[in-house]
Amino acid sequence: MNAAARDRFAFLGREFLTWLWFEAETNKGAVDTPTFGPVRVDFGQRLTLETGGNVREGSTIQAEMPLLVEESRVALRTGKKVARARLVLEVGERTFQFGLDAESLTLAQVKLPTVLSTEDAPRVDERLLLLDELEAMVDEMYARFVRLRSDAKAWGPVRDEMRRWVAAPAPA
Amino acid sequence: MSLATGTLSYLRFLAETVPAAFEVPYCDAMHEQRFRDIDADGDLEQARGWVAWDDVFAAEFDPTTLVSASGHLLLRMRVDTLKVPTVTLKAYTEQAGRERARAANRDRLTKRELDALKLEVKKRLRKRSLAKLQLVEADWNVQTGEVRLLSTSKATATAFVELFEKTFALKLLPVGLRNVLWLRGFQPEELDRLDALEPERFHLIPA
Repeated sequence: MNAAARDRFAFLGREFLTWLWFEAETNKGAVDTPTFGPVRVDFGQRLTLETGGNVREGSTIQAEMPLLVEESRVALRTGKKVARARLVLEVGERTFQFGLDAESLTLAQVKLPTVLSTEDAPRVDERLLLLDELEAMVDEMYARFVRLRSDAKAWGPVRDEMRRWVAAPAPA
Repeated sequence: MSLATGTLSYLRFLAETVPAAFEVPYCDAMHEQRFRDIDADGDLEQARGWVAWDDVFAAEFDPTTLVSASGHLLLRMRVDTLKVPTVTLKAYTEQAGRERARAANRDRLTKRELDALKLEVKKRLRKRSLAKLQLVEADWNVQTGEVRLLSTSKATATAFVELFEKTFALKLLPVGLRNVLWLRGFQPEELDRLDALEPERFHLIPA
C-alpha cells in the first residue's frame, strides 16, 4: 500500500481503537473473535487521542486507568479519536501487553506471555507462535470492526450508541 | 532487540509468493548479498548485508535448515557504520593545522590547505576507529508471505526492504489498514466497499 492509500484509511484505524474502547467498556471488557472467542481487552497507562486531517491536534493521557479519566472523554467530545494506545489482551491464561498505532497497525513494546523453552531455537519458535496469535487477535478484532463499519444498516445503531457514550460522563 | 528475548517492536510487511525449490538459490543469493567489512582505507561510511542467524561473523547459509519446520525463515541484517564524529574530526584537524603552520613558520594555513588536511586527518582517524555494529532481525513466514522486521526506524526499514528485494527478487509491501483485511480473508468486493467510507463523527450529539 502506498502512502496516499495509507492516509486515506487512517481514520479507520483511529475509529477502530475508539470502538475497541467503547466495546471494552460496554461489553464487560471483552470483544468476540472468530478464532479465540471472547478476548478480554484492557487499556494500559498511556492513551493518545488525535484529530484527523492535515492539522493534527492531540491529547496524551497518562494515568493508571486512562479510560476512567474525564480528560479522555473530553478529548473524544472535541472530535479526537484514539491514535495510539497501550493494550492488554487476555485470552485463556495468556496475557499480551503492547502498544498499538492506529494508523499503521504497528505493534510496539510487545510483552509476550512467558515461554517455557530455555534453548534459543525452540524459544524463538514459541515466541513466533505467540506473535502469530497476538496479530491474529488484533487483526480479527479490526476485521470485525470494519465489517460492522461498512454495513450501513448494522453500523447506524452502533454509531448512535457510541455518540451517547461519548456524551456521557466517564464511569466513576 | 531480539526475537529470542525481551519486548519486541516491529513493522509488518507482505512479500510476494516464493518460487518452488527456493532454498538453494536463496542461500546463494544471501551469500552474494552477505555482509562485507567496511574498508577503513576507503570512503564508504556504511556497509550492510546478511549474516548467519547464530554468528554475526559468518555468512554461510544451509539450504537444509534455512526454513524451520513451522515455515519461518529467520533473517539477520548487519549494518556497520564507520564515521568519524564531527567534533573529533574538527579537534584533530585544528591540532594538525596548528602543528603544520608552526613547522612552516606561518600563522595559519590557507582554506585549501586546511581542506586537504581535513581529508588526511579523516583517513588517519578512520583507521583508528571501530565501526558501530547494528544487528536487525527479521522473520519471514514463507508460507503466508508475512515478514516482521524487528525495528520501527524508517531508515532501517528502507535499508531492509532494499536488501530484501535485491536478494530475493520479491516485492515487499508494508502491511496496512487495507491489505491486512485481505490477509484475514476479506473478499475483493468487501475491500472495494471501504472506498465509500468517510470518517465518522462520534462527538455529535445523538438524536
